[in-house]
Amino acid sequence: MQAETPPVAIHDLVVRYGERRVLDGLSLSVGAGEVYALLGGNGAGKSTTLQALLGFVAPTSGEVRVCGHAPSDEPVEVRRSIAYIPENVALYEHLSARENVTYFLDLAGARRRPGEIEEAFRTVGLAAEAWERRVSGFSKGMRQKTAIALAMLRRASVLLLDEPTSGLDPGAAADFNALLTTLRAEGAAILIVTHDLVGAADIADRIGFLDHGRIVDEARAAGPERFDLRALHALFTRAKAA
Amino acid sequence: MNDVLREARLFLRLRAALAAVLGLFLLAAAGTAAGLVEVARQNDAIRRIAPQQAADVQAISDWVSRDKDAGNAAYYTFHATWDPPSDLAFAALGLRDVAPYLLRVRALGLEAQLYEGDIGNPEASLPGRFDYAFVLVYLTPLFAILLFHDLLSGEREAGRLQSLEAAAGDARRLWAARVGVRVTALLLALALPFLAGAIIAGTAGWKAAAVLLLILGYIGFWTALCLVVARMTRSSVANAMTLAATWLVLTVIAPAVGHVAINTAVPLRQGMELSLHQRTAVHKAWDIPKAETMQAFFATHPEWAATAPVIQPFHWKWYFAFHQVGDQSVAGMSRDYRAGILKRAAWSERLGYGLPGVAVQLALHRLADTDPAAQIAYQDRIRAFHADLRRFYYPYLFNETPFGAADFDKAPAFRAKGDGGTLPAALFAGLLIVTLGTAVIGMQRSRRPRR
Repeated sequence: MQAETPPVAIHDLVVRYGERRVLDGLSLSVGAGEVYALLGGNGAGKSTTLQALLGFVAPTSGEVRVCGHAPSDEPVEVRRSIAYIPENVALYEHLSARENVTYFLDLAGARRRPGEIEEAFRTVGLAAEAWERRVSGFSKGMRQKTAIALAMLRRASVLLLDEPTSGLDPGAAADFNALLTTLRAEGAAILIVTHDLVGAADIADRIGFLDHGRIVDEARAAGPERFDLRALHALFTRAKAA
Repeated sequence: MNDVLREARLFLRLRAALAAVLGLFLLAAAGTAAGLVEVARQNDAIRRIAPQQAADVQAISDWVSRDKDAGNAAYYTFHATWDPPSDLAFAALGLRDVAPYLLRVRALGLEAQLYEGDIGNPEASLPGRFDYAFVLVYLTPLFAILLFHDLLSGEREAGRLQSLEAAAGDARRLWAARVGVRVTALLLALALPFLAGAIIAGTAGWKAAAVLLLILGYIGFWTALCLVVARMTRSSVANAMTLAATWLVLTVIAPAVGHVAINTAVPLRQGMELSLHQRTAVHKAWDIPKAETMQAFFATHPEWAATAPVIQPFHWKWYFAFHQVGDQSVAGMSRDYRAGILKRAAWSERLGYGLPGVAVQLALHRLADTDPAAQIAYQDRIRAFHADLRRFYYPYLFNETPFGAADFDKAPAFRAKGDGGTLPAALFAGLLIVTLGTAVIGMQRSRRPRR
C-alpha cells in the first residue's frame, strides 16, 4: 500500500538568487493535523521556503508539492489550498474586519454560509464590537485573529505562518496558539517559520533547524513536557553557529 | 464578473480614487459645457448675420438705386460667408478659436480680406482653449497616473501583495479585474459628460462612437504605460515621478519640439505678410499706366478684353481689375501658404503616429472638422464664392450695365457646408499600434519572476 503524500512535501530543494544558494537541499514534510516549526536566524532561508511553497519563487532544482501540486507549475491549485499569514497581517485599513474577511473570501472564491463569519470571529476571540470597526485601529493580535478567522473560513488544508507571534504579548501568543491547536485538530497542515524558540516549542509537533538553506537538525515533541528547552536551545545555537 | 464586482466594491470604498474620478468627471463636464457654450455663441453669431446682412444690403440698395452704378454696388456691398460648427465641434474647438468662422467679403481683392482676421486673437492660439479635447489629451493622463501608479507597489508597500496573490490563486485575474474597474471608472468619467454633450449637440452616432474609441484607446495607452512603469520600479513615489515625467515629455515637450521642428522644416509666411504683398500690388496700380493693369487682367480674363478701354481718370472696371491683378500677383504665395499649412498638418499627423496625445488631439479635430484642413476648406469655399461674386459683377462693370435694386437679389448667395468631419483611420491605427505595443511590453515584463 502506497503511503499518503503529506500536504506539504519539499525534497532536496535548491533556490538560487544569482550566485547565492538561498535554499540548499532543503527537505521537509508537514502532515495533515501537524504543526511544523522551521527555526532559523536571519538569512537562513525561512521566508524563501514560504515563497517557494506559494509559487512566488521557482526552484532551481528539487521538488515542492502542496497537496500534490507543484507551486511553480500549478500556482492556482496550490494557492487555493493554502492560507498564508505574514508576519504583519496587512489588511485594507479603510475596511472593517468583516469587510476585509468578505473581500478576501470572495477573492479566494470561498463559499460561506450565513452567520459563518460571525462564528469564525467568535471562535478566534475577536470581540463583537470590533467586527464592524475599521481595522486601522486594530492591534497586531486583533489583525492576526482576523487573519486566522479568514484561514478557518477558507478551510485551507495548509496554513503558512511567518513569524506569527513576534510582537505579541504572552497572553495574545497563548490565544494564538490555542487557535492553531483548533486548526490542527481540524486536520490542517501548519508550517510556521520563526526564530522564536520558546513560541515554537509551545505549539509545534516538530521543529526543524534551518541554516544556510538546509535543515541541520530536527526535534520532535514527546511526552507531557513536549520538548526539552535546554536541548532545543543547544540545537538552535549549534545550527546558527554551523 | 464576480471578480469585477468584488473589485468595484473595493474601489468604491477608496475615497482618494473616487475623488480623482469625480474630479475628472467635473473637468470633462466643464470642458463639454465650455465647448457647448462656445458653439452656441458661434451659431448665434451666424444666425444673427442674415438679418443684419439684409439690412445692410437694403441700405446700400437704397443708395445705389439712385444712380444705378454697379461699381458702387460691388464696392460697398459686403457678402457674408460663414463656417458653421460641426455637430462635434463642442468637444474639440481646434482652429475655430483662432481662425475666423464668419467673414464678410466684397468683390475686391480677396487675399487681403482672407487674412484680416489673422491679427484678431493670436494669443489665444498659445495655450489653446479649455474644451473637452484639452481635458482628454492633457489632463486625463494625470488622473490615469493617479489611479494606476501604485496599483502593485501600493499593495507591496502596505504588505498585502503576497497575501492578495496567495488568496487570489490566479493573480492575473485579480489584476485584470482591478485594472478593468479603474479603466471603466475613467471611461465613465470621460464618456458620460461627452455623451451628454453629444446628445445636446446632435452629434452623429458614428462620430460619438469614434470619440468613445479614442477615449478608450488613450486610457488604454496610459494604463499600459503605467503598468510598464509599475513593473520597472519598486516604489509608488518612484512610479509617480517616472510617470509624471513621461506625461510631461509625451504630452508637452515632445509635441512642442516636434512642432518647432515641423515649423522649421516647413517655413511658412504669415497670412498678414501675404495680405501686405497683395495690398502693395493693388496700390501700385495707382502709379502705373492703366493699360498695364488691364493687360494683366485680360490675360486671365480674355472674355472682357474686347470691352471699351479705360480712358477716364477713374473707372470701376479698372479699379476691380487692379484688385484682381493684386490677387493674381500673390497667387503663387497663396498656393504656397495653403500647401504649407497642409504640409505642416501632414507632418503633425506623422508626429501623432508616435505620440498618442498628438494622435488623439488631431483625430478629435479631424472628426470635429476643426483642423487646418477644415480651415483651408472654408477658405476654398470663400474663394469659390468670391469668384462667383466677381463673375456676377463683371458684366455690370465691364458692359456698364445699370445696377438696380432688383439686381441685388440676383447676387450669388454663399452656401455653407453641411456637417463635416471624417474618420482619421491612420491616426486611429497609430494609436492602436502604440497602445498594443505598450501593453505587450507591459505583459512581457510581468512574466519575469518576482522576489
